[in-house]
Amino acid sequence: MLLAKARTLLAVHFAYMMEYRAEIFFWILGGLVPFFFMAAWSEAARQGYTLYSPLEYARYFFAVFVARQLAIVWANWTFSDWVRTGKLSFYLLQPLDPMWRLLADHVGERGVRLPVLVVIGGVFAALFPGALVWPGWGALALGLAASTLAFLLSFFVAYSVGLLAFWLEDATEIFELWYVLVLFFSGMLAPLSLYPEAVQRVLLWTPFPHLVYLPAALWSGLEPADARGFAVLFVWTLVFFAVSRLLWRLGRGRYSAMGA
Amino acid sequence: MAAPAVLAEQLSKTFRVAEKEPGFAGTLRHFVRRRYRRIEAVRGVSFEIAPGEVVGFLGPNGAGKTTTLKMLTGLIQPSSGRARVLGRDPYRREAGLLRELTLVMGNKQQLIWDLPVLDSLRVNAAVYEIPWAEAQHRTAELAEMLGVAEVLRQPVRKLSLGERMKAELLASLLHRPRVLFLDEPTLGLDVNAQLAVRRFLKAYRERYGATLLLTSHYMADIEALAERVIVIHEGRLLYDGPLGGLVERFAPFKEVRLMLARPAAAAAFARFGEVEEAGGLRVRLLVEKDRLTGVVAELLANFELRDLSVDEPPLEEVIGRVFAKGAV
Ligand SMILES: Nc1ncnc2c1ncn2[C@@H]1O[C@H](COP(=O)(O)OP(=O)(O)OP(=O)(O)O)[C@@H](O)[C@H]1O
Ligand SMILES: [Mg+2]
Repeated sequence: MLLAKARTLLAVHFAYMMEYRAEIFFWILGGLVPFFFMAAWSEAARQGYTLYSPLEYARYFFAVFVARQLAIVWANWTFSDWVRTGKLSFYLLQPLDPMWRLLADHVGERGVRLPVLVVIGGVFAALFPGALVWPGWGALALGLAASTLAFLLSFFVAYSVGLLAFWLEDATEIFELWYVLVLFFSGMLAPLSLYPEAVQRVLLWTPFPHLVYLPAALWSGLEPADARGFAVLFVWTLVFFAVSRLLWRLGRGRYSAMGA
Repeated sequence: MAAPAVLAEQLSKTFRVAEKEPGFAGTLRHFVRRRYRRIEAVRGVSFEIAPGEVVGFLGPNGAGKTTTLKMLTGLIQPSSGRARVLGRDPYRREAGLLRELTLVMGNKQQLIWDLPVLDSLRVNAAVYEIPWAEAQHRTAELAEMLGVAEVLRQPVRKLSLGERMKAELLASLLHRPRVLFLDEPTLGLDVNAQLAVRRFLKAYRERYGATLLLTSHYMADIEALAERVIVIHEGRLLYDGPLGGLVERFAPFKEVRLMLARPAAAAAFARFGEVEEAGGLRVRLLVEKDRLTGVVAELLANFELRDLSVDEPPLEEVIGRVFAKGAV
């Protein structure tokens, strides 16, 4: 029964997202930022300054691109919209925690995004012959597991920010802070092994380096994959899951179903 | 007496809203020190509704009807007092209870705007754990009762207001709730669509023995469906009893309608009672019940009449009086 519920929710949210496929396409285009860094690092490599060859940089940044695409979330925005417009009322009436609906919304969207990523991968492989190499089933699966954890963590952080709408008029922008931290400490700007060692040591206990770096390292096979990353991501996911549950319990009493 | 289907006990809700002066200075002041205003939307309202009863919930704009319904359906937490539906606290959102109730809001929609109605129904069926075959069966049945079978495959955004409202009703009732809260379900519908919705609610109630609490600003809805009405005003309970009793209590009048043979000035009728319409050939007067026979005799003696009839005053009129008086 639970499975049937999940399947239907996913199918309908997939259909819903298909209505917005054009938006999603442009959204993905917006996610091409890592490729600019790729260009910069490849150029540096060509002039002989750095660790890897230009093709290896291309491979690494493509892995970064995919890892990021699979972890993109908007729960902060959607949930606070539900609160502000009173749409949450309908979800409160039904015997399903609104959190699951929000999660289904994200997972369904991934179904639309994935085929687009495959096409972009094809184009990329044609543009940079030899840049993409098959990582092997094991690394592929581990990378997927890591990126799923990264997605769940991002989701619960965004959902927690969205829940602040019970207290604040507009809190969705707080989530931008998360993006900034991710940008600097995730390995998106540059491979982490280029950072000073002391910084690396501290960072490894935070989720940031693992979010993008762990799946990217596994998929590209260039950087050492840190197994501890799985544990760190898992624990942080649990922490933010608990935070979101707590905020939900505390915040619900403040909901005034405005506009509904 | 059977355990009540719906119970409100000293139910109250106070909203706190931030106040902001318009303009830039106001924004700055608002940022530094927020000022709040308390709105007592519902103040100590108590009533019980027995299983199978249909109750009209009346009150002018801002009386607190919607707020009360939100508390009874567990959307918002009461500031004080108790709400119970089928003996359970709706705010706790137990799945067992949520499967038994629904709230239909005439000014809101739950259907997914860009997808066909059927997709929304699919989600609801899954959420309420109704097997799809059964859900299809119920959909067909409800769609037939509502007369909307043809539009279920169309995207919601392409439906007319009436079609959409009927589809909303269908979606809200797919899980066959026993307790229905309806907040202006006929809002904005044309006369035919209003009639259809009314008939449908009546049929649903008869078929499933459901309990209904319904608000509407159209008295025809209330007259057609409710035997009992609850009236609130400024958050307080004003009246709870049979619809007829409301008329007795607040409008000890009869409406006298005349058709004159020759036009007469409106002023000529002022001494008989309250003039609702006059000046031409058609005249309508509200006359106190005690004076009725005397007034009719006098009218017959003094005017040349084509027709004269005596009726209960229109319910709208009565309700208007109740609201205007405010307190009993
Ligand atoms: N979410 C809210 N926040 C602040 N004040 C509110 C909120 N909801 C309602 N109110 C106020 O509470 C009072 C009662 O509102 P409510 O919506 O319950 O009235 P109503 O009887 O349903 O009126 P109507 O016939 O116009 O629908 C109003 O003064 C309204 O402004
Ligand atoms: Mg209302």
